[in-house]
Amino acid sequence: MSGGPTKPAVSGSAAAAIGAAAVLLVAVAVLWASGGGRIDLPWAPAWDLRLAFGVDGLAALYWYLAAGVGVLVFTYASAYVPRHLAHDERPRAEEWRVHAAMTLFLVSMVGLVTSEDLILLFVFWDLTAIASWLLIGFDRQKREARLFALMALLITTVSAVLMLIGILMLRAEYGTTQLPELFRLAEPGTTVAVAAGFIAVSALAKSAQVPLHFWLPRAMAAPTPVSAYLHSAAMVAAGVFLISRIHPLLALEPALLDALLVIGLASMALGGVLSLAADEFKRLLAFSTVSQYGYVTAMLGVGGSAGAAAACFYVLAHALAKSALFMTAGAVTEATGTKLLSESGGLARRMPLLAAGAGAAAAGIAALPLTIGFFKDELFFKAAAERGTWLAILAVLGAGLTFAYMARFWAGIFLGAPKGDVQHVERRLVWPVAFLGALVVVGGVVVAPFADLARSAADVTNGGPVDLKVAYHLDTRTENLMALGAWATGLLLFAGHAVITPALRWVERAGDAMGPERLYWGGLRLLNDLSDRAHDFEIRDLRSRVAAVIVPGGGLVALGVVLTPTAGAYAVGSFETEDIALGVTLVVCAIAAIAVTFPRGHLALALMLSGVGFALATAYALIGASDVALVAVLIETIFALLFVGVYALVPQQVLRREARRVEGRSRMVRDLVIAVASGIVTTLVVWSALSRPIPVDGMAERHIELADDAHGQDVVTVILADFRGLDTLVEITVVGVAMIIVAAAVRTRTRA
Amino acid sequence: MTTSALTRMISRSLLAPTLIVALAILVKGYASVGDGFSAGVVAALGILLQMLAFGRDQVTADLPIHRAPLVAMTGLFIGFAVLAVPVLTGGAPLEHWPPPDEKPIYLGTVELITAVVFDIGVFLLVLGSCVKVIDALAGAAAEDDA
Repeated sequence: MSGGPTKPAVSGSAAAAIGAAAVLLVAVAVLWASGGGRIDLPWAPAWDLRLAFGVDGLAALYWYLAAGVGVLVFTYASAYVPRHLAHDERPRAEEWRVHAAMTLFLVSMVGLVTSEDLILLFVFWDLTAIASWLLIGFDRQKREARLFALMALLITTVSAVLMLIGILMLRAEYGTTQLPELFRLAEPGTTVAVAAGFIAVSALAKSAQVPLHFWLPRAMAAPTPVSAYLHSAAMVAAGVFLISRIHPLLALEPALLDALLVIGLASMALGGVLSLAADEFKRLLAFSTVSQYGYVTAMLGVGGSAGAAAACFYVLAHALAKSALFMTAGAVTEATGTKLLSESGGLARRMPLLAAGAGAAAAGIAALPLTIGFFKDELFFKAAAERGTWLAILAVLGAGLTFAYMARFWAGIFLGAPKGDVQHVERRLVWPVAFLGALVVVGGVVVAPFADLARSAADVTNGGPVDLKVAYHLDTRTENLMALGAWATGLLLFAGHAVITPALRWVERAGDAMGPERLYWGGLRLLNDLSDRAHDFEIRDLRSRVAAVIVPGGGLVALGVVLTPTAGAYAVGSFETEDIALGVTLVVCAIAAIAVTFPRGHLALALMLSGVGFALATAYALIGASDVALVAVLIETIFALLFVGVYALVPQQVLRREARRVEGRSRMVRDLVIAVASGIVTTLVVWSALSRPIPVDGMAERHIELADDAHGQDVVTVILADFRGLDTLVEITVVGVAMIIVAAAVRTRTRA
Repeated sequence: MTTSALTRMISRSLLAPTLIVALAILVKGYASVGDGFSAGVVAALGILLQMLAFGRDQVTADLPIHRAPLVAMTGLFIGFAVLAVPVLTGGAPLEHWPPPDEKPIYLGTVELITAVVFDIGVFLLVLGSCVKVIDALAGAAAEDDA
């Protein structure tokens, strides 16, 4: 490579995405400064749905994060994505896909956090899942990216079905999906407990909490800016957002809060351990995210004023720092070409600004003083200590793990002996990291604005005012002692990393061998096998399967004919001269139908069949059913041509062999008996039906009367488009699906 | 594909009239014989005739055949839109406008009613689907010959 990649300018699509994020950032700043706002418009009033959006503290917090981090990450992406595409030798024009999906994500996220209606919230929830699927699978030429995008989609949307069930349970019980109404009406009970539990499961899956955590490290197949956005400030944050949002419902059932606490602690521990074991930057950061959102989940499980305050502040501090770290990983990989800690080192001298920004961010996650992270742990320790000693001990251990893996990440990249060459990278890959790093430090000094935002969010979560006070205290209060304990534990783990590595690796392997991810793959394989088996069963013996439907059906009709009273059933009408034409047509039709049974060649058979159809169409025309006649002619024409087209695809020798095949004698007799019997029964049925007097007040007359009201004169068309419109809609859907299947089947055949 | 010059000339000069007949069947559907379905099949047959006379490669170069799935899905989308829009404004699914006692808006002799919009959706879907299936079969046959 000579001179490295050229400096790409910001493309139009990237600029549009950055602009959209900036506009949304200004919007939330204005809205929140002016005291929030509400929109409430009717939406599908027939189903009692409303477009109800409101900006409260909780919405403002997550909106700020999504839009603010969005501006920085989108700027970073404007330099990163062209490089990413160039590495894979893809045209730069594909860049817009990332920016468009990221913007879709941002907008859905804003919709999600401001929704006051659970159905609306569900819609945005699934929109974020779709956007994330597009983003994780951006490298669609890579099998891994496709598989893991699907994994993230399935885990988050299948669990979202549980959420929908929960929402509908609440609606059935209280007759509304409006959150303020629900909070007012809901009372402790089984319905609320189960419904809130279902919603919480879906939220935990989105936040990658144990045991549904495995999709997050896999989602690292996404380009780095996507990880920096979705997996720090947006997608995984949506899960804890939802738990915060419905917290008043969860709080009605103490068992649910306890479950949250246990799941949160398990995620914190497992994420921390696996993060410490990881060698890949992004894998380390992904498990760190699992662990950090474990803290938040645990705090939401603790609940109350202290828990809500800690959770909301934690989300804020973590999102700022974590997105900076993801962007650091991407910038380092671009500069050195490696993704592994074991292959990097000594970058501090070569990339001082990146080192400083990443250092501040890492210190923020590790909760060192003079960063905003210190306060997140202060609140966390306070809430944990209030709950009990055992939780305080676990909190210190968890924070120690966090300190250790953050130290490993930063020291592994920036300290030690330099390894390998360093390529020049654009400033846009560095300064968003530096900016966020600076913000983490500013938050450690001037914490009031951040604390205010977190407090208003916590007020909403707690359903009442919370006590959120943060400051440095130079004394021996519990929180400070716990922090010291955490740093000591962290230093110990960091220093003794080489000693504990075998144990960490063992946990990692045990997780791979027995973890829930195996269940996912197993379940997917099972579904695939089931679908294959159903498919094979469906296409084997097509003829006998069709017969299995038609023969019993025909038998029942025959039974009906035998049992029906014959009085007046088989009347013989008169035959007028004007009926001659119709009679001749029907005779032609009958001759053609009998002739169908003789030809051996496939083409002749197809043409005979359409001969029957054309004769029948003529009969329709003669009895004045012009609409039906037109459709019949057209259908016969296009079907005859399709038959010819399909025959052209069948190898000639197969057609010839099939045409020459002589059936056994017994089989011919059987076919003859079936044909004659069904012919007789059909004749009798039609004859008796035509002998009955026409019903006077049938639907036909009603339709003709109503056609005028529907502004139409052609009754058939009015029935199709208006009276029976739903049927038509379903039918055209079937036509569309059939088109997709035919196109896919033909393509598969050609490939084979 | 060997067709005589006469066949090709007649086929080509039939394309525009076929499409116009299809359009007429579609627009007049509410007042006389025909509907979106018939119109879609007629239009697709017009394109099929071109394929028979000129071969798939030539027609693919001349007409936007590759847009057929898009046309079909647009039609389906229109159908579902006509279903959904009345619900959003408080009516029943697929409720048509204008209601029985109101006069529709006239453009010359063409009445503007949503049922016709629905029928246009059916037309687009049938046209797109037929053309796509024909094209898929023709493409596969061409590959077999190659």
